[in-house]
Amino acid sequence: MSDFSEELIRPTTEDEQGEPRAPSGTGMCFPWLQKHIETIATGGKQEKDFAQTTSACLSLIQEALLKHQWQRAAEYMHSYFQILEDSDSNKRQIAPEIIWRLGSEILYYHPKSSVETFNTFADRMKNIGVMNYLKISLQHALYLLHHGMLEDANRNLSQAETWRYGEKSSSQEVLINLIQAYKGLLQYYIWSKKKMELSQLDEDDYAYNTASQNMLNHSWKTSINLCALIQIPGVWDPFVKSYVEMLEFYGDQDGAREVLTNYAYDEKFPSNPNAHIYLYNFLKREKAPREKLISVLKILYQIVPSHKLMLEFHRLLRKSENEEHHKLGLEVLFGVLDFAGCTKNITAWKYLARYLRQTLMGSHLAWVQEEWNSRKNWWPSFHFSYFWAKSDWKEDKALACEKALVAGLLLGKGCRYFRNISKQDHQVLKKKIKQMKKSVKKYSIVNPGL
Amino acid sequence: MDFPSSLPPSLFTTGPLGLSDVPDVSFMCSWRDALTLPESLPQGSENTAPHVAKVLLWEPDTPGPLPLLPPGPDPWDPGVTAQDLLFRGGYQFRRQPQAVLDVTEQLSRFLWDHGDIAFAPLGKLMLENFKLEGARSRSKKKTVVSVKRLLQDLGGHQPWGCPWAYLSHRQRRFSILGGPILSTSVASLLGELLHEELALRWEQLLLDDAFTGGALAWVPGRTPEAGQLVYPAGGALDRLYFQKVNLTPGSEPRVLGGPGHIRLRGPVRQVVTRTVQGEALLAVRSDYHCALWKVSKQGQPAPLQVLQVEKGATGISLSPHLPGELAICSRSGAICLWTPQDGLQQIYKDPETLVFRDPSPWRWADFTAHPRVLTVGDRTGVKMVDTQGPQGCGLLLFRGGAEASCQKGERVLLTQYLGECGPECLHPTLHLICTQFSLYLVDERLPLVPLLKWNHGLPSAPLLARLLPPPRTGLPRPLLLAGQGGELQLLHIAGEGASTPRLAGPPQSLPSRSDSLSAFPPLEPKSQWRLQERLTAPAIGLAAAIPPSANTPVLSLFQLSAAGDVFHQGLHLQADPGPDSPAPTASWTPQATASCSRWLKALLEVAPAPPVWAAPTFSHRRLLGCFEPQKAEGKAPEGLRTAMAKGRLLQLRDLGLLPTEERAPAPEPGPEDELSERLEAAWEGQAAAWWERRRGSSLGPGKQPKRHKRRTQLSNTFSSLSGRLDLSDAASPPPSPEQTLPAARPQPPVTPPSQESTQELWARAVPSERQQTLRDYMAELPLQGDAPGGASVPSSQTSSVRATPSRQRAAVRSGSQPHCKKPRMGF
Repeated sequence: MSDFSEELIRPTTEDEQGEPRAPSGTGMCFPWLQKHIETIATGGKQEKDFAQTTSACLSLIQEALLKHQWQRAAEYMHSYFQILEDSDSNKRQIAPEIIWRLGSEILYYHPKSSVETFNTFADRMKNIGVMNYLKISLQHALYLLHHGMLEDANRNLSQAETWRYGEKSSSQEVLINLIQAYKGLLQYYIWSKKKMELSQLDEDDYAYNTASQNMLNHSWKTSINLCALIQIPGVWDPFVKSYVEMLEFYGDQDGAREVLTNYAYDEKFPSNPNAHIYLYNFLKREKAPREKLISVLKILYQIVPSHKLMLEFHRLLRKSENEEHHKLGLEVLFGVLDFAGCTKNITAWKYLARYLRQTLMGSHLAWVQEEWNSRKNWWPSFHFSYFWAKSDWKEDKALACEKALVAGLLLGKGCRYFRNISKQDHQVLKKKIKQMKKSVKKYSIVNPGL
Repeated sequence: MDFPSSLPPSLFTTGPLGLSDVPDVSFMCSWRDALTLPESLPQGSENTAPHVAKVLLWEPDTPGPLPLLPPGPDPWDPGVTAQDLLFRGGYQFRRQPQAVLDVTEQLSRFLWDHGDIAFAPLGKLMLENFKLEGARSRSKKKTVVSVKRLLQDLGGHQPWGCPWAYLSHRQRRFSILGGPILSTSVASLLGELLHEELALRWEQLLLDDAFTGGALAWVPGRTPEAGQLVYPAGGALDRLYFQKVNLTPGSEPRVLGGPGHIRLRGPVRQVVTRTVQGEALLAVRSDYHCALWKVSKQGQPAPLQVLQVEKGATGISLSPHLPGELAICSRSGAICLWTPQDGLQQIYKDPETLVFRDPSPWRWADFTAHPRVLTVGDRTGVKMVDTQGPQGCGLLLFRGGAEASCQKGERVLLTQYLGECGPECLHPTLHLICTQFSLYLVDERLPLVPLLKWNHGLPSAPLLARLLPPPRTGLPRPLLLAGQGGELQLLHIAGEGASTPRLAGPPQSLPSRSDSLSAFPPLEPKSQWRLQERLTAPAIGLAAAIPPSANTPVLSLFQLSAAGDVFHQGLHLQADPGPDSPAPTASWTPQATASCSRWLKALLEVAPAPPVWAAPTFSHRRLLGCFEPQKAEGKAPEGLRTAMAKGRLLQLRDLGLLPTEERAPAPEPGPEDELSERLEAAWEGQAAAWWERRRGSSLGPGKQPKRHKRRTQLSNTFSSLSGRLDLSDAASPPPSPEQTLPAARPQPPVTPPSQESTQELWARAVPSERQQTLRDYMAELPLQGDAPGGASVPSSQTSSVRATPSRQRAAVRSGSQPHCKKPRMGF
């Protein structure tokens, strides 16, 4: 029997279940595992009464929050503070974070809570369990910012900025950078307000000088605050935007370009479309050469072919002398219209109709066919179905006409969409439809003769 | 398409799950999402109201969902539970709970209950593999036992499971001799397989992903109020029902006519519906088949295509862009796209998981904003795959890792494309990704960086999610999330155009099916348990519709449970949740409780599921043989033999001993006993019917005669007792053949009446706690004869005497006790 029993005892002794909380060995974690185990609890070492009551209290708070019963949640919260005296050091350590999370949520929504209450709560929580000081400070500042209390938020962040605990860990460093960046953002808000005031002042005024001096000061402080964070990989749109605006204002074009280029092209950063958009807009403001703009948008086209800037990209490509660019211009238009969110974009259809005709007139049939080949088995049902012919005509006749021209050019005059629109009788669009028929007859890539 | 002009700041780190050193900047506060950074502060912002985001609250019409349709005729069994699988002894609380599979008990139970299955093949195996006969022993003295018959015995005539059943000497000897060998081989062969099976079942209990996506669909009809519910029902969930329903704002939806149904060849796991270009399509996933129907304007389904998935299908989704296109995922790791033009086309195949190694074969696919790009998901991540590009390449949309600050052990459970284009929509590029801890919103234009993360805290796996159209123009879109356990959450997602998607207001929990328990009338425990079991059946489907209404927006929510029940919950948007107004609580309306009672009645009429396991039956062939030689013994043995031959319970009438009035023991009065009748009815789950019957009958004759009857019954029992005293006085029981079968004698062993009466005499003077001791002592004394015919023996005393019958009888029979002992010794 020895083998037999060994076989059976093994799971208990050897922790065959693998990872803790993962009995199946898949490494997956099941938050509901405890519940299952509790249903079979018959004896043995139970959780302490204290732990039981606190965990029950926690679930009651969560339940009340999910039912929007802020009053009730606040009452339970009162009792939940006892967890801070838990003998289990592990629990005691994570407790402040839970309390902060739930407490701030209650205070945010509670009808009777005020900014003062929130402030008191935040200040208390910051000093319970030092590990959360920075996080809570940051959130507190955001709360104040949201309530329009810029000064208080700024003071809060300044306090947090200088706070240190033990050895500076990397996570602490990131948080401090974040705090500084938010501080910089606050200063940017103040700065932009001052800028607005300045624009209303007369240049010869005495006040103008002091105001501009003030602004300079702010800018200098802000740049220090912002530039540290935006070196760290992440999505820092608001920071980058404000930083660049300030740099631009003070004529530091090179600095701004560097920041934006780094933000857009650093490989450690996630591929953020906004980074390219900001760079493009900056270059546009700078009146950069068309080639430069095209190269920026080319990358954006790789990431987000459906972006509304793509139409602008198409215009740039169309104006370019380069033959390759003309081809790309067609590709971009097709690319935009591939997406479900762009199917009713009349500008895109208009551009495509016009450009298709132009391309076919310029005898670049191969370009069109190249684009069309990958789409011919799904565009007809995606764009040119009978359903769309009817509904487009009903909703937007101009759109229907543009689409019909494209359909006719790509699918020939036998296409259902084209047939449906062209036989519509409409006073105003009569001429347009006639013209459309002529174009289709002349340039359609489907040759009826063959 | 617009892209959010400024994304919320977030740190981007790469790395595996549970990288603890990274500060979780999102903090997972729902209110934090309300804090979008202002582009530039407007003038005088110091005085703006703090609560910019209006808190939206959906108020349930009733405290819980109500059954919409009567329960199906098939019984339902909840299947295995944790109690069946886990080790129950010595449970220890741990911070990180640990489950231990109870192989020991399962194995011993298996050997116990199904010994025939466990051992029969062993016998056969041994017969095949061992040469057991050897040379015939010449010596008279038998030292070698032939094992052949023993092994045959193991297969055929082994007493099935019961340790008290008859064992032949040979078998006994064999079990002693072969014990060590048998136990090890059984353990090694069976134990391993059993452990594997138990682990599989336990995994399934923790996460049953078969119904991912949900098997309930709402197919909109011609008018916004009318529609069809499509769901599987029946014992095996293999019948697909189409039920027309009419939604009426302010009241329960009306069910129109009976449901139509289609019988399928397997259990339905997922039902998906979409209306593309005015064409309503319905895709159904079974374990090994997928099918596509087109639903006509009149609501008639017409089959389009059936596909077979050899390795088993794990997911199906319909294209929101092109009518009739669907994506199918297989357990083998292949994703196929089916189009009406090109037919089936494999677009991706990888038996390995995307990000890191995970053993789960679960795969999922959905569409994206580009009709030719699909998302492919598994437990570790989600990838975007271009169906026209080279196979296998694509960008990761979501990575189970530090990018989304995932926890250790976090896995993707559901991914869903949220971009259904409407006049007012979110970005049509959003994808919902649910794990056991959190919910993520990811934009396909910004892969890897979730735009929103929220800790849903559901106590079961979130396998169902539905994004609904905005209830009114300008309001955010509700997103329903349901856990497998039936818990429901409702979130509001706002953000169109240039703003980022975010949670609008705090999420809300909605009543689950188990909250409806209070609407049902009180029941006796067994039925109550059954009802409770039914109400807490896992959720396998979720559908919702927003019927147009004049004033306050309403929401109709349908839930399907694994038992095949469809529940409905009506909700309405709270008009203006003022800061001080307490949330009004809904209460049950009389109509609601009435419909619940009707449903319950229908439920209790359904026969309960036959038990999966039945008690072992006995092999009686051998035993019958033993009886063969004895002949001419009378009616009793013959009856016994016939009962055994038929394998049924031996009853009194089989022995020819009809129970007479005198033999009936006191606590078993006549057939009129109300209590036992009621208990009997309750045991069979018919208590309500019994009560109805009882009430009906009691109305007529009134109560007076019954009480009288009861009294006479009581006195009858007493008189019968006294009558028996007289009878048994004459016949002191001789040891008869009947006594070898004590179980066949329902009447209590007869005690000499003299003892009772003597006790009666002295017992009055003795304190009650000492009476038993005294009685035991007295019982040793064969006091004979001189007692008066104690007419008023209290029944409690008789029963207490009867509790020690054997000793008394032994005393009587031996009769060798000396008379010299004094009866009142010690007093």
